[in-house]
Amino acid sequence: MRPRTVWAMTPRSRWSVVAGVVLAVVAVPLAPRLLPVGDTDVTAAVLLDAVRGSADVGHSGYVETRGAVQLPVGDDLGDVGELLAGTTRLRVWWQDEDAWRVDRLLVAGEKDLVHDGPVTVAYDYEDAKAVVTEDPAIRLPRASDLLPPVLGRAVLEDAADTDVRRLGPRRVAGVDAPGLRYTPPAGRSTVDHVDVWVEPGSGLPLRVEVWDAGADDPAGPDVVSTFDDVEVARPADDRVGFPASRGVEVERADTLDVADAAGRYAPFVLPRRLAGFARRTEGEVAAATFGSGVSRFLAVPLRSREADPLRRQLRAAPGVVTGDYRTVARSGVLTVLLTGADRDPGAAWLVAGTLSPDTLEDVARALLVLPYVDQR
Amino acid sequence: MIAVELRKLLRSRRTWATILLVDALPTLVGVLLAVTDLGPRPGEGPAFLSAVLTDGTLFPLAALAIVLPLFLPIAVAITAGEAVAGEAAAGTLRYVLVRPVSRLRFLVAKLASVLVFVVLTVLVVAVTAYVLGVLLLGDQSVTTAGTTSVSGSSLSTPELVGRTFLALGYAILCMLGVATIALFLSTCVASPLGAALGTMAVFVGSALLLTLDASDAVRDYLPTRYWLAFVDLFRDPILWRDLQAGVLLQVAYVAVFFAAAWANFATKDVAD
Repeated sequence: MRPRTVWAMTPRSRWSVVAGVVLAVVAVPLAPRLLPVGDTDVTAAVLLDAVRGSADVGHSGYVETRGAVQLPVGDDLGDVGELLAGTTRLRVWWQDEDAWRVDRLLVAGEKDLVHDGPVTVAYDYEDAKAVVTEDPAIRLPRASDLLPPVLGRAVLEDAADTDVRRLGPRRVAGVDAPGLRYTPPAGRSTVDHVDVWVEPGSGLPLRVEVWDAGADDPAGPDVVSTFDDVEVARPADDRVGFPASRGVEVERADTLDVADAAGRYAPFVLPRRLAGFARRTEGEVAAATFGSGVSRFLAVPLRSREADPLRRQLRAAPGVVTGDYRTVARSGVLTVLLTGADRDPGAAWLVAGTLSPDTLEDVARALLVLPYVDQR
Repeated sequence: MIAVELRKLLRSRRTWATILLVDALPTLVGVLLAVTDLGPRPGEGPAFLSAVLTDGTLFPLAALAIVLPLFLPIAVAITAGEAVAGEAAAGTLRYVLVRPVSRLRFLVAKLASVLVFVVLTVLVVAVTAYVLGVLLLGDQSVTTAGTTSVSGSSLSTPELVGRTFLALGYAILCMLGVATIALFLSTCVASPLGAALGTMAVFVGSALLLTLDASDAVRDYLPTRYWLAFVDLFRDPILWRDLQAGVLLQVAYVAVFFAAAWANFATKDVAD
């Protein structure tokens, strides 16, 4: 009988096994990233057209947005401060512009928006409440505005073919997406350029980066919105509805937020043009958005009980400028201006947008001479 | 070998004292909620705690969210840190190793014993919280109509029970990750306290790094990154993304630290 050979492991061979396990564990997530990204020969102009026509492309997926816009704004402005300053996790099911659902995922809950024609349901798990509102003429930004397709179409709204050029492809949510860079003509916008990566078959923007400085800025983009999972297909009807459980209190509200309330009831009528920018909001309204593409702003009259706390918060912002008639703060692409001083009995104008402080001051001066309208 | 370790675990008064201490906090929270009828404000407090005043059947999940970030990992770190270093500190390790059992089997038996401890603790916490939730908390008229999912839709009782067991299983896996880190450290030091404190330093450091934007590049690899992802089981539809990542991450931690524990322990010159 031949003697059996027993292989005894040495300390070195044991630790080699550990090193092998570590290598395997590290290689699994890294391996897909090493695969080359495929490109297409589509031109920037064709890609731009495809993005503009993507509003009714059905899709669903998981989105993360990251914002570096640090402005201290309180609860009166809804979730605007949180949405622009940190990381937001979203799930989206989008049939078309009329039927969609966007769930904002929180560690211990959800804040969801369910849109059906002219009606939006806003559901908050921790409040156990769903609020139903008619879509107003004017509203504050909300989570759905940060989805890559919505943000991408908004920022490329008035891009000309000559303002865009192709970027290299990038793998986004597993899709080899050709890129597009839009550099707006030098002007009054705070946006230096916008990079968009697009699903080549549908024109759906998968990743959007908004920069307030050149691409070599070490701080990176001001706002990034990107799909981490995406399926380009029309989701089922039950995915875009809101089948409320009996434990959810459903109520109907007349106004959506402070901008909607001011737009309907404040004693002003905004002109069709303001400081050279065309009004986007239709009708005789006291609050409105103006401008287009990357040069747009929101003008809302506030009562002193809303304006005073906001003014105090703005004063805490780095680089804030205060003066006789206004407080101005800028963070990255966003500039916020609030007119008036504490305890002023009259209305204060909140002007916020992707425009330089000087431009918003022109806007504020035009707003301050608007006459009061008694009967609205 | 595993049977011997399990008998030691179950006969130890310290095991049951630790389980009772871990169970005490959610029990106290449940009683206080029932007495005062004051839930945490939205956005504050552990997951599901704001919902238990309406639906007591969610209290096992709230209890899990209460103990998972700190109490449970501390208990697991102490128990697993004791595994090898405890024997060494008591001077019994060399006698244990005299038996014709490989050191690998010895480590497997120790890990299995810690796993049973985790399962027992999680089950005791869940059962206590369920009884407390049904008896003291919630509005029965709402509960009988179905539990509200995090996404606002209704969950049937079988769905709720199934998802609750998945959440408990997920929490157990997360604690197995803690246990293997503690087991590895237990093979490195002679003091069980040192192994337990070292493990706590790992998960407290991980929890701290998760709050920093600057640690963005490494956050997905931190051991506590996906611990609270069990909440995603109660969204509609279930969001599997973080749960899958959490399972893979914990399996990776278990594989790496168990391999390191084996390599270190098998090489170790045992004198104690």
